[in-house]
Amino acid sequence: MDSNNFFHDLHADTSLESSRKKRRKIEAESHSSETEIKWKSESAQRIYAVKLVEALQRTSSQNAPPAPSEAAGGRVVRDVADRVLAMAAKGRTRWSRAILASRLRLTMLRRHRKVKKASGSASRPRKPLPTAAEDRKNRLPAVGNRVKILSRLVPGCKGIPVTNLLEEAGDYIAALQMQVRAMTALTEIISVSQGDRLGSSSSSQA
Amino acid sequence: MEPMSLTGNRPDEPPFESLMFNEEIQRLIALPPAPVGNASSFTAILELGPTQAMELLHWPEPSESSNPYVNSVDDGAVLFAPTSSANTGYGANCLAFSAGENGSSPGASSASSPKVKKEIVPYSASDWSTWTHPAVSDTAPESKVPGSTKRKVRDQLDKGSEKKKKNESSQDAEALPYVHVRARRGQATDSHSLAERARREKINARMKLLQELVPGCNMITGTALVLDEIINHVQSLQRQVELLSMKLAAVNPQIDFNLDSIFTPENASLSDGNFPVPMTWSDIQIGGSMEIYQQQGHFPSFQHSVWVKEEGSSFVMPEASHITSISSANGVPLDSRQLKMEM
Repeated sequence: MDSNNFFHDLHADTSLESSRKKRRKIEAESHSSETEIKWKSESAQRIYAVKLVEALQRTSSQNAPPAPSEAAGGRVVRDVADRVLAMAAKGRTRWSRAILASRLRLTMLRRHRKVKKASGSASRPRKPLPTAAEDRKNRLPAVGNRVKILSRLVPGCKGIPVTNLLEEAGDYIAALQMQVRAMTALTEIISVSQGDRLGSSSSSQA
Repeated sequence: MEPMSLTGNRPDEPPFESLMFNEEIQRLIALPPAPVGNASSFTAILELGPTQAMELLHWPEPSESSNPYVNSVDDGAVLFAPTSSANTGYGANCLAFSAGENGSSPGASSASSPKVKKEIVPYSASDWSTWTHPAVSDTAPESKVPGSTKRKVRDQLDKGSEKKKKNESSQDAEALPYVHVRARRGQATDSHSLAERARREKINARMKLLQELVPGCNMITGTALVLDEIINHVQSLQRQVELLSMKLAAVNPQIDFNLDSIFTPENASLSDGNFPVPMTWSDIQIGGSMEIYQQQGHFPSFQHSVWVKEEGSSFVMPEASHITSISSANGVPLDSRQLKMEM
């Protein structure tokens, strides 16, 4: 029909389209860049490392009397690091809230969970949109399994829909990368400075 | 019926009306950012009479913005999209076709969609694919309490699906007035398929973001393999964190006591040099951050000196003099450069 073609042309040419496309692009980029910027910036990394050191100081001053074992010390540091990371997320993501909340409920829930696990809890996250699947990709067991595994890896993301899970995973990965960078640098600095200190002290004694 | 009659008139009117119409559209575009408290009558917003609105409804195919609004005149309720944060949650819920994600409004949307489809039937004669509207009419009053954001979903016989992306971006960023889902040629256009497709495209968009995040994922095609890579990456990151934490724990007990004294004895022993060093902290802006750290008098000297050094060594050769002056001002030698050298 002529009117059909006419509207197709109008549709293609309207400036509205281009403006909307631009808006969409900008927002899509801003969404991804928000995540990136939040975790990639140097200032964020620095702030995190500083807070980590402070927290570690606090915990080591607390734990000095009980004298934690070697292995437990590592776990403690890891928990502290994760908690500081979750704090840096400012509670806007699910995994950060889960990390912070888990500390409060950790001991209690562990007992309950052990009981539940013993009874064989097969409660898996529900499949999203079980009916009327136009695209069968999600139905493939391969993808579904991996989604489940991923949900187990990201803290606090057990029963959430796939879309949210992917979003959380993205933020979590970025945060982890920042954490690794910060801790690497931190250990370098500390160990080298300690080496220098020991070296200088020994040389001064000599 | 009106639509049918207007269809015949279309070829005559458009050249003249298109100007008017573009203005309307632009006004509409400007409108959504301003929250519309009671969005019950879009006609008031459009400042048109109902009949004029109906005209706009039926001939301006190219305009996507007004049509959804216009179409809802029949329903008696229009949902605009004030972009307030309060709406974002509801708008997300309203993205009806992501049914099951947020449980609040899919029921409403599915309830109204059958009703809407009745209106679609006469229209299909114009060779446009069906229109679907997420919830609006019946449940509109209650759901509009916070000036809610509703998404209009509309199909067209278009092949592009890029408009759909606005969906997820708007959900993530801030509430957009509407979302357009394109039905590809030959694809089913019932609400379920639409919802499925909308959801699927959202998932694909997120997957793309993840692919950019995870190194080495760009070449891989296929959801399963990409997910594999993501899982491996997360696991490796977590393992790295554990290793590093153990290292830190081994190093830590020696730190806490003499944080202040750690660097002072070193300060005297180490000489400052201007070495170009590989940087862990890249792109550090010395100026602002230096001020920050200098102002924090309470800062333990450990961190202070660390960051001074970090920032100092981040600058390559040309800035050496600047760094030297800074470090001498702080009374801290440039250990970090030496540290970095050893890395």
